[in-house]
Amino acid sequence: MKILIVEDEPKTGAYLKQGLEEAGFVTDLARTGPDGLHLGVTGDYDLAILDVMLPGMDGWQVLRALRAAGQTLPVLFLSARDRVEDRVQGLELGADDYLVKPFAFAELLARVRTLLRRGRTPSMPESLRATDLELDPLRRRVTRGGRRIDLTAKEFALLELFLRRRGEVLPRALIASQVWDMNFDSDTNVIDVAVRRLRSKIDEGFEPKLIRTVRGMGYVLDA
Amino acid sequence: MSPRTLTHRIALLFALVVALVLGALGVALDRAVDAHFREMDQHVLAGKIELVANLLAKARDPAALDLLPQQLDDALVGHHGLALAVLDADGRIWFASSTETFPHPLLEAARRSERSLITWSAQGRPYRGLAARLPPTGGQQGAYTVAVALDIRHHAEFMALFRRSLVLAMLLAAIVTAALGWAVTARALRPLREMGATAASISASRLDARLPAAGLPPELASLAQAFNQMLDRLQDAFRRLSDFSADLAHELRTPLTNLMTQTQVVLSRARDAAAYRETLESALEEYERLARMIDDMLFLAKADNRLLVPQRETVDLGLEARRLIEFHEALAEEAGVTLSLEGEARVSGDRVMLQRALANLLGNAIRHTGRGRTVRVTLRQTGTAAVIAVENPGPAIPAEHLPRLFDRFYRIDPARREGGGEHTGLGLAIVKSIAEAHGGGVKARSEPGLTRFELHLPSA
Repeated sequence: MKILIVEDEPKTGAYLKQGLEEAGFVTDLARTGPDGLHLGVTGDYDLAILDVMLPGMDGWQVLRALRAAGQTLPVLFLSARDRVEDRVQGLELGADDYLVKPFAFAELLARVRTLLRRGRTPSMPESLRATDLELDPLRRRVTRGGRRIDLTAKEFALLELFLRRRGEVLPRALIASQVWDMNFDSDTNVIDVAVRRLRSKIDEGFEPKLIRTVRGMGYVLDA
Repeated sequence: MSPRTLTHRIALLFALVVALVLGALGVALDRAVDAHFREMDQHVLAGKIELVANLLAKARDPAALDLLPQQLDDALVGHHGLALAVLDADGRIWFASSTETFPHPLLEAARRSERSLITWSAQGRPYRGLAARLPPTGGQQGAYTVAVALDIRHHAEFMALFRRSLVLAMLLAAIVTAALGWAVTARALRPLREMGATAASISASRLDARLPAAGLPPELASLAQAFNQMLDRLQDAFRRLSDFSADLAHELRTPLTNLMTQTQVVLSRARDAAAYRETLESALEEYERLARMIDDMLFLAKADNRLLVPQRETVDLGLEARRLIEFHEALAEEAGVTLSLEGEARVSGDRVMLQRALANLLGNAIRHTGRGRTVRVTLRQTGTAAVIAVENPGPAIPAEHLPRLFDRFYRIDPARREGGGEHTGLGLAIVKSIAEAHGGGVKARSEPGLTRFELHLPSA
């Protein structure tokens, strides 16, 4: 998977590149709008991450030029300004997602993966596994080590999310959005409590422990 | 051109009005005096004509006629400045006093037998004259014409003097009234100037200054009162704002101090990778807290600048409340708290914002409820509004704190300021700004055993 990063802030750009490469992506980094556009038109990328404020030409102009050149790759915008007009303009121009700085890298990674997954045929419901844990989406059954585990509907949805995105660090905001459809920052530790309760059901008394806390970032179900 | 001062204008207006009134009065007086002189002159002239007519009527024979000029001269003695001419039927001058200076226009008038009073000037002197044709009597051949003229220099001199005095009086009166107007206005406006001076001296550090409203005329007292009320509001807003920036600095300093201290301690000697990892993870948690606080602050700043525009759609509050209760279920169970919901309501509003507001109220209630108790959410639809009430059992919040609960970073117990990780102390302020962005408001009530927060929203 090849990702184009267009970001003029040196530190942000370098860390985005490093982070995405360590997450298994191939990346190119451009520092200006025109350079980014050139790479975007000539290279074969699966996704572009564009900063809004860029020297030479801004992110909107780069996106417009990319679309005009027939490039349909998904584009994720990064902006330091959170204005409704910006969002609307971005989405109208055909941006696929929009993240406001400062953002959590885990959040960015999760969104990048969501965008890259989009458009692919959704996998048929089949049983999901991790070591001796098995989740059957059709029969809505969870077993571990052959033992049946009773989960509430939301716990089931949470576990299914973890299993479908194995190995990915899931930020709390993403979990709230995907499992509860809550799209705001809660000022409580609701997600921590919910994950803790799920863990007590699927990890307590079993080895290895499947769900791991990544401090400051979120939770991951290890592959 | 800069606008004239009020004092200037009023003084000028005073002077103008006085000048106009006196001017009109002067013209009227001038006319009256002039008319009076004319009447007097007419009277004198007509008397003389009558005298001449009598003398002529008595002179019935030529001898008597010959004597007549002498008699006429006698009659004129003592009448300084009086001129007389008698013309015979042919229009020749039969008699004329002081021919040298005799005014010719009068003779002209006499020839034309005009009976009206005419005024003219000759050799630099003003005259007024009257002429009359006398019907022939006895032995006279034809009618005589008599013309009399009066030197009215002394009248003219009097009129000129009179006019001069009038103009002088007018000017003087105008100046005096202007000065008076100036003085009175300046005096009347003094409180206004004092108000201005007080207002000018008010700065951020002296917002407690107030205008003295006592002793002011009623017109200005209401102004001073309004001004003072404005200052009250300003002072309050300013105090909140400066409290807020102080709190903000404090809130930011706590995570920054944590970050700096732990980083310095860890860097002070070589450690193993696990220790560095631990430090970075801890730092990340602080960064998250800072980022969340900045997000919340930006949200509030947008609300303050009326940039928070709800995306309107019909929101079923009952449905959202049930979903939020489900979302908070695990948290409530951990805290040993039961969540209950009653009622239904619908509003037109922004679903995500309203979710956030209700979530903040719920989170707040769960935090402050003891184990084994119940947080009650009640929805009520009235004719004009929907009310979301969140009640939790607990000790009463002292009345002085209630109005400030929705202030940013406000905490009843200042010692608890350092607060728990997730909670930024902005939750209730955000609830308030969301309610206000929807054209509604918030209320807090507390009595022993029960605290109740209400969110009022205009109905769908």
